[in-house]
Amino acid sequence: MSVMQVSVFLESKPGHLRRVLDAFEAAGVSVRGYSASDTGDYGIVRFVVDDPQGALEVLREQGAAATTTEVLCVRLDDRPGELARVMGVMADCGVNVAYSYSLISTYIALSVKDVAQAEALLAHEPVELVDQAMLASPLAGGAAPAAAADAAAAGAASGESAGAAAPAGGR
Amino acid sequence: MVDLTVKGAALAAAAAGDFSGLPVYAPDVECAPRERIRAIQLEKLKAQVAWTYGRVAWYRERMDALGVAPGDIRTLEDVRKLPFTDKGVLRETFPYGLFAVPLSEVKELHASSGTTGKPIVVGYNAHDMDVWSDCIARLAQMAGVVPGDRAQMAFGYGMFTGGFGLHYGLMKLGCMMIPAGSGNTERHIAMIEDYGTTVLIATPSYALHVCEVGERLGFDWEASTLRVGLFGGEPCPPGLKAEIERRMHIVCTDNYGLTEVMGPGVSGECLASRDMQHIAEDHFLWEVVDPETGEPVPEGEVGELVLTPLDKQAIPVLRYRTHDLTRVVREPCACGRTTARMQKVRSRCDDMLIIRGTNVFPSQVEDVLAGIEGVTPHYRIVVDNETGLDRMSVHVELKPEAFSDSYAEMDAFRASIAEKLKGVLLVGVQVKLVEPGGIERTTGKAKHVEDLRRK
Repeated sequence: MSVMQVSVFLESKPGHLRRVLDAFEAAGVSVRGYSASDTGDYGIVRFVVDDPQGALEVLREQGAAATTTEVLCVRLDDRPGELARVMGVMADCGVNVAYSYSLISTYIALSVKDVAQAEALLAHEPVELVDQAMLASPLAGGAAPAAAADAAAAGAASGESAGAAAPAGGR
Repeated sequence: MVDLTVKGAALAAAAAGDFSGLPVYAPDVECAPRERIRAIQLEKLKAQVAWTYGRVAWYRERMDALGVAPGDIRTLEDVRKLPFTDKGVLRETFPYGLFAVPLSEVKELHASSGTTGKPIVVGYNAHDMDVWSDCIARLAQMAGVVPGDRAQMAFGYGMFTGGFGLHYGLMKLGCMMIPAGSGNTERHIAMIEDYGTTVLIATPSYALHVCEVGERLGFDWEASTLRVGLFGGEPCPPGLKAEIERRMHIVCTDNYGLTEVMGPGVSGECLASRDMQHIAEDHFLWEVVDPETGEPVPEGEVGELVLTPLDKQAIPVLRYRTHDLTRVVREPCACGRTTARMQKVRSRCDDMLIIRGTNVFPSQVEDVLAGIEGVTPHYRIVVDNETGLDRMSVHVELKPEAFSDSYAEMDAFRASIAEKLKGVLLVGVQVKLVEPGGIERTTGKAKHVEDLRRK
């Protein structure tokens, strides 16, 4: 169970990130989380979105340098010590986190070298992995349940990795 | 006989080494024995010097000061007795000081695109226009353009010699002109489709832009009517030309020329020796000299090209210093032409950069980038000395397929480009990766170098 992250090469200049975000908006792609760091003249901006294939198509149409990568997505409980606990589990399993960033609400994205191996190691650990379909749905307290179900279905249809997975991600 | 109107036919014939079916516009001179070409040149040189001496005070004064009279020109080597002309002379005599005919006889004025400094102006009478068109028709046929072709102009018209120069020459050959002019790339693509354009005239960097925009719009270049690209206005690196040929499914050649001696058409590329260009030797006498001393370099060696137009009436110019570095060979070409060939100009005496005491040419950067997968041929050089030392950075455009999500990999890629550049340039450079399309495409001379050094 993983999600597809969309990365794009961007120069560190005013307006370059905005151009990407405007295109996402025009295509109805919803950003669920992102990361951008001060790596100098250029950087890799990473997105987790509801529709990764749609996002990638938008970027390719723009002629941008973009690619997708599989990353783990974990839902945390909103309480002190939860992040430490999850990272502790990762450490105990011997899985190195190359980079990580937080998404909407209490979700985090984790990049690891071998996603399949990490999933296997984490299968019986107290860590709640999330798939693309779940991430596509609006969060609790937001939209009506029907809309949430629709969005989840749309996400499942377009999310590559989520396609084969069971629609209910949580335990 | 090769049916040249079939897309790819000219290149296929050239690849097979069979040039018998490819056209030559003026075979009586382009394929003449060397002795015949020299005889034409000598006869015309004598007349040209007499014309110039008799009608242009500036040259008469210089020749008198050097003690040279028109009658002293008895051999082609005697051209060395004549004074050089450089761009400064055309500025000094601006606008009409070098004109040899009354303005009432002048058909058209053109001005240089001003690569360096202020513009200069030149004029053409009916004879000059005819010679110019002849030169253009020759280079168009070298690329396989034939009467009946539909030629779409993507150069700007106006004072720049590229626009009208190619326009008249292609009309003379028997092409239908589509004078679209520069800019509006999507409109250009629509016109290619609507009018069945077979020949596109553009700068190579703009042609690549047209190609990329077409690809993005889903235009099928392979199925399109477009067959030939005639390039000019800026040097065309071999890698760029090959890439355009592959992606647009056309054959592309470029030609050489400069406003001061006529405009485009001084020499043109045939399909047999694609790094060289055949000089229209019956219209231009060439010399290759040491840029420092002005003395001729040994046969076949690189030096500064000096040109004397042999058929220029309105504004004759003797021994024009082009500042372009090249070498010229006289061996007959596989295409059947016997006119001398000059190596394509990749660098000018004056675009050499001196970085911490080392000579660096932008063309060297082009060559290195052409050999690297994952970057486009577009680049930009920025030089500064903010820290006291000269610092050169090269902006390189990433190809989408070379992108990876790993910053470490991207940085290693950037470092490998810097390493390759250092190996050739012999000075350390910073490499800056920019987004695909991040380097400006130009329709005129691509501006590759930005020198911000405080002197």
